Amino acid sequence: MDDFKKLTRNSKDLVFVILAINLIIIFGSLDIEYYLFNLSLELSLSISGLLGVLFLAVSYLIIPKILLSPIKIIWYTILKLNPNQEGLMPKINQNKILIGKELVTNLIGQIYNITNTVNQDLIKIEEEKTDLKTDFLANRIPLPIFVLDNNENVKFVNKYAATYLGLEIDNILNKNIYSILELSFPSNDTFDTWLKDAKNHTAISTKSWERVKLNLQDNHPTLYFDMVAYYNLGNTEGYSTIITLFDHTKQYSQDDQAINFVAIAIHELRTPLTLLKGYIEVFSDELEDNLDPELKSFVEKMKATNDQLNLFVNNILNVARIDNDEMILKLHAQSWDKILTEAIDNINLRAKVRGINLEVKIDPNIPEVGIDRISIQEVLYNLLDNAIKYSKDSKKIIIKSYLNDEGFVETTIQDFGRGIPESIIGNLFTKFYRDHHNRSQVGGTGLGLYISKAIIDAHHGNIWVKSKEGEGSTFGFTVLPFDLLSKEQKNLVNNEIIQNAHGWINNHSYYRR
Amino acid sequence: MDQNVKTNKKILVIEDEHFISELYTRALNNNGYIVKVVSDGVEALKECQTDQYDLILLDLMIPNMTGFEILNILRDPSKSKPIHSKIIITTNLEQRDDIKKDIEKKADAYLIKANLTPNELVDFLGQIK
Repeated sequence: MDDFKKLTRNSKDLVFVILAINLIIIFGSLDIEYYLFNLSLELSLSISGLLGVLFLAVSYLIIPKILLSPIKIIWYTILKLNPNQEGLMPKINQNKILIGKELVTNLIGQIYNITNTVNQDLIKIEEEKTDLKTDFLANRIPLPIFVLDNNENVKFVNKYAATYLGLEIDNILNKNIYSILELSFPSNDTFDTWLKDAKNHTAISTKSWERVKLNLQDNHPTLYFDMVAYYNLGNTEGYSTIITLFDHTKQYSQDDQAINFVAIAIHELRTPLTLLKGYIEVFSDELEDNLDPELKSFVEKMKATNDQLNLFVNNILNVARIDNDEMILKLHAQSWDKILTEAIDNINLRAKVRGINLEVKIDPNIPEVGIDRISIQEVLYNLLDNAIKYSKDSKKIIIKSYLNDEGFVETTIQDFGRGIPESIIGNLFTKFYRDHHNRSQVGGTGLGLYISKAIIDAHHGNIWVKSKEGEGSTFGFTVLPFDLLSKEQKNLVNNEIIQNAHGWINNHSYYRR
Repeated sequence: MDQNVKTNKKILVIEDEHFISELYTRALNNNGYIVKVVSDGVEALKECQTDQYDLILLDLMIPNMTGFEILNILRDPSKSKPIHSKIIITTNLEQRDDIKKDIEKKADAYLIKANLTPNELVDFLGQIK
């Protein structure tokens, strides 16, 4: 029974139980609420008149609330010390604090339960030569627990952890923790950095993180939890780190979905946009021959305005995605000439209604580029839209595309409008639209440029601007030829051919293939 | 564009926004489609299961049963007899990637309604084989 002695000595639960019993013996059989009420009553009687009544009222309200609440917490903790068969905390149907003989009986019941399970475990240990920590401690604590060695390999994992992750224990053991838990932390303060720091600076360290996100493979939904890690260099087995997870998937996935709100708002905005787009088309189809030139130009302006609003709505969604780290690009080999021409065609009406002429010079020898079609089109729409917006009275925009000296495909969009003040040009691609001081100077550009930069960065390209106030601006960006990209970034290029074969016209737009 | 040839395909439009279905029906009729519109989810599922349509346009946000549910039932052999209809999701709702992946496996295409006009929709349907 040596193991049992060790266990009772080490088990926090039992130490707590024994401590509590000793406390109760000191207090005796006591109804603490009744005692405190009497105390406040006697105190108030010693104060005469209205003041006494007031004191009674106040003390009766305050004493149970303030004085009893910490006691209540301890009391509840004692009452539900050991979890039930399912590993859950049992429900307590009792509100009155009784720390006398009732609690003693409750504790005796609990000790009985604990000793009983230990007995069973000890029998099992003798029969199966299993490990007491494994069977008794970890599998009776209803939380996912991982124990790691100094190389961050999982040396012990309990059944709750395996169930939580939807894996078999054998598939977790001896694997590196980072290959099991693909975690996203809300800030740079991650488990990884903490552990490095703990190893370098301390012998014992504990740390918790809130809102940790775990990406599971296949069809498993994302899990959210609070995570706590404990590091102890002096662990005799050399298993220095323990991780526990406190699941909050339901709560966090709900309020973490700020993008969901955005998605709903955008859904609502898009319904009238869809309708306007449809009606405008009907009008231009049916009335085209009968309308006088002025009315015809109004229909075109309506269409251009509608497209512009649609671009803005998509921009809002994309900012939310970038900020939530949810913008995922799939880069494919595409004909740059075709994509660029298509984008220019689509935006041409917007230029036309403002009397602006788009001059296009695309070199014929541009190789296939590795891009995410929809995203790059959004970049083009934003840059072209800005050029149109800021053209002022000038009537020309020059679009060029060529293979530059570095072997990248460079595209430039030059307007001859108002240009950008030097003071703000450095911040142009940052999330600028939130800076209220500059908003009036720059108008709406910030949003589109912020998105464009994020998208071009994800393509491993560059985005830049040259501008002179009063003379106009040139925006340029590069994307990589597909061959170059696939050589450099093997894992980046997703093989999407299978999905195309399935008949899937990828993602959310008519134009995407 | 290459949609001058009139088709006689049957198409089910599941859409609860009446103005949108009206516009789509008009464009589809002009191009020879035989159109039926259903605006209620439960009714839509029953209609899909008759398997008399070549194409189904499925909105995700519809009353009584969502487009997700309809799609899941139609593509689950234990819940519904397989149908030959191509299912095109037509919605204005953007999805989280995990949900989108799930839809990708089950639907034949996914369209954002606000990004295309009724005639562009018709062109697009012409490309679906």
